[in-house]
Amino acid sequence: MNNLSESMERTLIHSPGKKSRDINAISPLWNFIFNVGICLFALSCIFPFIFIIIISFTDEKSLAINGFSILPKVLSLDAYRFLMRSGEQMAQSLGVTLLVTVIGTVLTLYLVSTYAYAISRKNFDQRGFFSFLAFFTMLFSGGLVPSYIVVTQVLHLRDTLWALILPSILNAFYIIVMRTFFTTTVPDAIIESAKIDGATEFGIYTRIVLPISLPGIATIGLFSTLGFWNDWFNALLYIDNPNLIPLQTLLIRIQNNMDFIVQNSSKVVSYDIAATLPTETVRMAMVVLATLPIALAYPFFQKYFIQGLTIGSVKE
Amino acid sequence: MKIKKIALLMVVLLLAFATIMAGCGDNNSKENSNGNKPSGTQSSSPNETGDKTGDKLDPVKLKVYLIGGPQRDLPSVQEEMNKYLTEKINATVDITMIDWGDYSKRLPVITASGENYDIAFTSSWAFDYLPNANRGAFLPINDLLEKYGQDIKKELDPRFLIGSQVNGKNYAVPVNKELASQWVWRFNKQYVDKYKMDITKIRTLEDLEPYLKQIKEGEPADITPLAVPKGFKPYMPFDFLLGDEFPVGINMNSSDGKYVNILESEELKSSLKTIRNYYQAGYLRKDVATLEGIDNIKTGKWFADREQTQPYAELGWSRSAGYDIVSSPMQDPVIFTGSATGSMHAISANSKNPERAMMFLNLLNTDKYLRNLINYGIEGTHYKKISEDVIEDLPAMKDGYQMPGFALGNLFLTYSHKDDPTDKWEAFKKFNDSAKVAPSFGFNFNPGPVKTEVASISAIVKEFYPPIMTGAVDPDEHLPKAIAKMKSAGLDKVIAEAQKQFDEWKATNQ
Repeated sequence: MNNLSESMERTLIHSPGKKSRDINAISPLWNFIFNVGICLFALSCIFPFIFIIIISFTDEKSLAINGFSILPKVLSLDAYRFLMRSGEQMAQSLGVTLLVTVIGTVLTLYLVSTYAYAISRKNFDQRGFFSFLAFFTMLFSGGLVPSYIVVTQVLHLRDTLWALILPSILNAFYIIVMRTFFTTTVPDAIIESAKIDGATEFGIYTRIVLPISLPGIATIGLFSTLGFWNDWFNALLYIDNPNLIPLQTLLIRIQNNMDFIVQNSSKVVSYDIAATLPTETVRMAMVVLATLPIALAYPFFQKYFIQGLTIGSVKE
Repeated sequence: MKIKKIALLMVVLLLAFATIMAGCGDNNSKENSNGNKPSGTQSSSPNETGDKTGDKLDPVKLKVYLIGGPQRDLPSVQEEMNKYLTEKINATVDITMIDWGDYSKRLPVITASGENYDIAFTSSWAFDYLPNANRGAFLPINDLLEKYGQDIKKELDPRFLIGSQVNGKNYAVPVNKELASQWVWRFNKQYVDKYKMDITKIRTLEDLEPYLKQIKEGEPADITPLAVPKGFKPYMPFDFLLGDEFPVGINMNSSDGKYVNILESEELKSSLKTIRNYYQAGYLRKDVATLEGIDNIKTGKWFADREQTQPYAELGWSRSAGYDIVSSPMQDPVIFTGSATGSMHAISANSKNPERAMMFLNLLNTDKYLRNLINYGIEGTHYKKISEDVIEDLPAMKDGYQMPGFALGNLFLTYSHKDDPTDKWEAFKKFNDSAKVAPSFGFNFNPGPVKTEVASISAIVKEFYPPIMTGAVDPDEHLPKAIAKMKSAGLDKVIAEAQKQFDEWKATNQ
């Protein structure tokens, strides 16, 4: 919007009578209309989140009486105060989530990129077999119970942080994407020339292939960061120790308990589960605290996406 | 080059699609985990002799799963319990609390994975007792009860054990608590006082009319006269086959023991007329048919709703609402099969120490010290005693030890609070004794042969019940539609199957 008004001003200042516009540019009117349209679309995407932030700052009592409103009648910081006071679990969970996300993403990137790089090299003998190995798991999975047995009874990961990291560390889909990326952006010629210059296989990978594959790495990095950050199911299955519960699992637990209450209110007469649940505003505050950090991480990946996934280094 | 890229893109998209499809498949397998089915045979570890001195028993650790929010102070309370249990039966317990909403998702996975836990909470509404007992997840406990659970049998109302039998065997120890269920109308007392109403006169839906009218005319528009969500159903004097979300039952006013289609009964037709009139008069919320839940208790802007009761429930409701709530019964208390299976503890078919597990359950249901320890925590830390059986909560209880009493064991052993009526547990016993038994009490329907019909009728119920039962649509027009749809989904077949099983059960249980 700013650009538009600036360019209008400029045209007014520099050429008072005559418009000097780029031939290919759309007319200012249409530009304005498009801009408004895009703004509305962007707003509709971000509005729900803004609304959640607003609710989290609303007074609980006025919420119960007046319902949700964009301009709350009574503002209050009670929800955040409550979280700060009883926030041990919250802080602990945030820590667990951060730790799992960082370790998980680093390990995922290392394993996925090395695996994908290996099967992207045409002179690797077992290429077909290893591609098939990864590909096969995408179509057929053992299901919930076998994976539960593997994690709990074979690997004995119950109630450890590894139970949150290892099950989702090597993702077949990421491998396929990464392999495709390597085959399209890393020309054989570069690897050939590095070999002639006496680089080792690992040296080629770290010093040649990785630097020119940053966009792909960033993409997979973002995928897996989001994946680890938002994962709650593993913790639901494998974690009982409250010190190891990630943030999202904390939230989903509240959600599950609410569903449960709605369905079974008449059966659990003698015990007030509702009293043990956080109030509406506190729930919203938790969502804000759980979503904001990852939303803020997004701009750091942004520049790689803008570069796009088609940067090569050799003309063919 | 370009063509190559497009081809690659296509491959990637195809793979992405495949992943999504695989994901869907995954979700389905989460819904119904078809694990290996442990057969319900005794595990062979007869290292027990019948004496309970505790000297001759090897030390064992019992893995216990209970329902409820994980509590911060559980480890310290568990330590106290283990000191006592080691002394008594040379066992220790390792208790895992799994939250309300997660319990029914997780326990089937744990069971299917063949983990050898010892005891788990089970009931008609969480980690469902009946299908799991049929599947062989639990150990039949009749012999163990005879040997190590004699004290339980003394304490427990015998109707609990009758009602929780599956094919003539017991698979879990029921918690001794309220046995009957009874629907009541609840009223916001401030309006009852304001208009000097005599609510003892209110029993049926029709009786409510003049009072709702008074509220509608005399109070501001945001006070809902009949504050119910879409789950509302008029009270029906039926013994339901599969709960009130399924239109098959035995009319309790007749003695012929015949399963019928409730939607075709005269009782329902007249009730639906009434509720339709109420809806049109604006006594219910306009959006009632889509209202998942209603937070009338929190806002206080309501006059009447419906709830299931137990002795002194009014006190509890008023306490959690912060204002007075009174109630009036819609029916006399009745004992259903489902109410006998409302809260139980089963011993896993994979348990390595079923005998010791039963000894523990025996103590839990008969030993006052242990029962209150697991319920209220440690004396002096979580509560202080005011007199022999009356306690006062200390702040530590609210912060770190809030356990769901009804899901832990014999309720009648627990201490009461100082504002509780002194005769609370006597009242519970009286309530249980006063109740009459439903015609199908002790009969457990096995829906296996008509599984598909039951599933598709349940789906139709979900679609039709809320608008019809809350009066949001005209019953004369929509009820026949619903009946026709259910009939074509095989309702009559389900009724016939239910009748067949019921008659067989009756023949063997007379």
